[in-house]
Amino acid sequence: MAAFLAPLFFCILSRGALLFRPLAGVFIAAVIVFVLSGCSRPREPSPRQIIRVWAHQGQEAENRAMRSIADAFNHAHPDLRVELTFFPDFQYTEKLAIAAAAGDLPDAFDLDGPLVARYVDSGLLQPLDPFFSKGDLEDFLPTVIHQGTVDGVLYALGVFESGVVLYYDREMLASAGVSPPSASGEGWSWEAFMSACQQLSAAGIKPLSLHMNESADEWYTYAFSPVIWSAGGALISADGASVRDILSSPQNVESLRQWQEIFLRKYADTDPLDPDPFGNGKAAMDWTGHWMARSHLEKKGDRLGVMPLPRAGASFSAPCGSWCWAISARAPQPEHAAQWLKWVTNSEHGIVPMVRANGAIPARRSAFAHFPEYQRPPYSLFREQLETIARPRPLTPYYASLTRGFAAALRDISRGVDVQRRLEMAEEEIDRELQRRLPAGKEVSR
Amino acid sequence: MTPWQKTRSRAAPWFLLPALLLLGIFVVWPMGRALFWSATNADLLAPGRAAWVGAEHYRDLLTDARFRQAFANTALFAVLTIPLQTTLAFLLALWVNRPEPVWRWLRAVFFIPVIVSMPVLAVLWTMLYQPPQGSGMGLVNVAVSFLGGEPRAWLHDPATALPAIVVMSIWQGVGLQMMVFLASLQAVPRELLEAARLDGASAFQRVVHVVIPSVRNTIIFVITVTTIFAFRLFVQPYLMTRGGPENRTLSLVQSIYEMTFLSQELGRASAAAFLFMALIVLLIFLQRHFLKEVRE
Amino acid sequence: MKPATIIASWGISFAAAFLFLAPLLWMIFASFRGETSIFESGLLHWFDRGEWTASHYADAWRRAALGQAFLNSLLQVALICGAGLLVNAMAAYAFARLDFRGREALFALVIMLIILPMEVIAVPLFFTARDLGLTGAYLPAMGGLVIPFLAKAFNIYFLRQHFLSVPTELEEAAAIDGAGAWRQFWNVALPSVRPALATVVLLDLLVHWGDFLWPLLIGTREETRTVQISLANLFTQPPIQWGDILACSVLVTLPVLLLFRCFQRYIVITDARAGIK
Repeated sequence: MAAFLAPLFFCILSRGALLFRPLAGVFIAAVIVFVLSGCSRPREPSPRQIIRVWAHQGQEAENRAMRSIADAFNHAHPDLRVELTFFPDFQYTEKLAIAAAAGDLPDAFDLDGPLVARYVDSGLLQPLDPFFSKGDLEDFLPTVIHQGTVDGVLYALGVFESGVVLYYDREMLASAGVSPPSASGEGWSWEAFMSACQQLSAAGIKPLSLHMNESADEWYTYAFSPVIWSAGGALISADGASVRDILSSPQNVESLRQWQEIFLRKYADTDPLDPDPFGNGKAAMDWTGHWMARSHLEKKGDRLGVMPLPRAGASFSAPCGSWCWAISARAPQPEHAAQWLKWVTNSEHGIVPMVRANGAIPARRSAFAHFPEYQRPPYSLFREQLETIARPRPLTPYYASLTRGFAAALRDISRGVDVQRRLEMAEEEIDRELQRRLPAGKEVSR
Repeated sequence: MTPWQKTRSRAAPWFLLPALLLLGIFVVWPMGRALFWSATNADLLAPGRAAWVGAEHYRDLLTDARFRQAFANTALFAVLTIPLQTTLAFLLALWVNRPEPVWRWLRAVFFIPVIVSMPVLAVLWTMLYQPPQGSGMGLVNVAVSFLGGEPRAWLHDPATALPAIVVMSIWQGVGLQMMVFLASLQAVPRELLEAARLDGASAFQRVVHVVIPSVRNTIIFVITVTTIFAFRLFVQPYLMTRGGPENRTLSLVQSIYEMTFLSQELGRASAAAFLFMALIVLLIFLQRHFLKEVRE
Repeated sequence: MKPATIIASWGISFAAAFLFLAPLLWMIFASFRGETSIFESGLLHWFDRGEWTASHYADAWRRAALGQAFLNSLLQVALICGAGLLVNAMAAYAFARLDFRGREALFALVIMLIILPMEVIAVPLFFTARDLGLTGAYLPAMGGLVIPFLAKAFNIYFLRQHFLSVPTELEEAAAIDGAGAWRQFWNVALPSVRPALATVVLLDLLVHWGDFLWPLLIGTREETRTVQISLANLFTQPPIQWGDILACSVLVTLPVLLLFRCFQRYIVITDARAGIK
């Protein structure tokens, strides 16, 4: 239809546009391009089965790796062809949602781990168990399987995992007389952590960077839930159906009060501009993810140390979870899409090139063999955390509302708001939505 | 009816057809669909599975604390923005409405914030509003402490966050209204101004008695449009505060946007959209009632 | 004028100019700074330290694939501005000049349509576009970017106001010379609201050059990306490369600035209407 209209507009408007010379030029050029591009795009008939694949746009190297993985797949499968499309990471969720709404999801796509439950709840994903052998699945890190499993059925598989640690600069710590825990894998209690901050601060060194300038809500929930978990608290009930008296429990209030102290005592900025103060030598410690490991190592070399996040209670805790691949329930030939999933989650074909490119943590144990750096810190700590203390974010279809409410509360708390009142406010807001949306009478059992 | 008018009424349908057809397909029809959704519990991810809920969403929204907060914020934003921005735009237009090339450049300069992309402006203003921390603070606080005031975290204090966004929004959008005023100032009859000047009217008197009456329709137009745009507030707070602190900068559009794409309650979001629309329609009708246009 | 008044007038003008020019200047300066010194607090620091670089531009152009995006955005904006102008001017003319039953009621309805912002109507509009086949491959998706936005209630309203402010004498004179409604519109009324037409074109240009949500929803291929989508692509995994983002913003802003300069002289035609009276 558009192709018909264009020449029509052209005839009518070439004169009208002449009312303005600059417009006329652009307009006529535009129409010509429009018409030409209509003629010059013949579709080549292909005997191959097309697999439509969507992925979020990551770092440049990551995208290049993804393309080459897809090329290799196409090369190895003469009867199949993956058509890969990237969308901005920023609002990729919206893009997926509207495609789902229109029944237009591609055959295979990647999505952020916490969304899996929601997509499964809406019947949009294909179970993966038929396509993967038990032995295959045992090779994956337990957190990866957990993240993709709803009601005992596997729906999504990641290529890489994630983790957050406390990076520190040995020399800056030493210059303030602070000694990090000696044993590897050992971390600080909250008191030890705060007194280290105190000493650094007294020595005129900014103790910590918490990246409070992250625009995405998810950073806050992801990076700071461990404060709550390490004290034995939770964000939401185990069945994922209520936050009442859980989110604002006395122990959560206490944990977050301790966390708030970091800002009240000015150990970390509430409004940093610099995306990487630790790397630039302006902070002694960095509370951040695996994605900074490569750059920190390059900048700091032997000065770089890592430890688990400080614990607010009895046990250490770490976040995990990342992007994972799923197959649309409406994919006409799920077995073809499954071929792609097998390829992209295969150690040699998918994980190794991808992890080389983005520096994330391999999702499969067999892939670690290709990365000697995982024998030593900082990388060894990431793997160790995932095998021991890492805890996935809550698996609930209403995660999006939970994380928005919790992240907003964390932002305000960091700026000095009363912790108890703010958590109660968040709890009220989230609970109202949960009560509204839980299907009446339906037991949510997860 | 003169013959001139008669030929014109015959032509009317043809003039209207293309626009009405397109508006019908791409605005009215989607709205009809949304109206239907608003009475169901449609889910964005599975709109086919919707069940009829009648007016429940409307009832629920009217008692929802978050939605009411969004409404209050947006209304406050509008109340602050509309008079300030319209007045400022008018004054700027008067100021730069002179023939020398210098003023033409100045007009272009006032228009620049309208052109620069919003994410960049949001970063810039977040920098300007930086609270004191470490060695530095944002320029706004530098200016405030220079004038003897207390530096503060403008965007994080529930009392100042919205006003801070009002200031930024006026700065960003005023150039547009100024352009509209400028276009209409060109139409103020020179003879009238000259006559008033010869009668000894001061500049202020000339503006009040000659300029304002002759651009009356434009003023009404600008107020109406500013009202609509003020109620459409979304991007600035979304990028600068995410609706915080404590929901104090949460706008109606942000709350509807989040209902649609974040919690993905399509039915409820549609209901909210219609409440939003009803509100603005009401306001505009009130305005048109009080500010009558002059029609020839 | 007294010298003091002139100096004050210049002073105020300069201060105001700086206030409004600052973001553009900052954006341009910062886009040439090394990544670590972009957020150096205090403007003065910029002059005493080195670290100037143009590499952000090359990076941004490559990483954001701006070439195709520019082409798409120009195409989209030109089609909307050009074809939309005609459609809306015709309707506006009808509302301002032509008599027909129910005109006021219909016009009130049109005004109501101005109200809904994109974020609110995106989902139902997407369904309509999909039903009409305006998504997916390149041509349909470009159609989907353009066709829903040709008719615009706001522009109709705006142009109607300006048609109303033009005296009817010229058109009546043309009618006496035997011109029909179309020629009165095309040859007489349209040229006399040229500043308003330029304003509408400029507004459409700004709005659609800045479109983000809609192109994101409608396009399912990378060939249909517009400039804002490309820019958004730079806001990816941490740490964000602010240098690239700023460089990309400068590149994305430049065409609008240029077009604005071109259109400005049409908006501000002095005394165009003085001759009519």
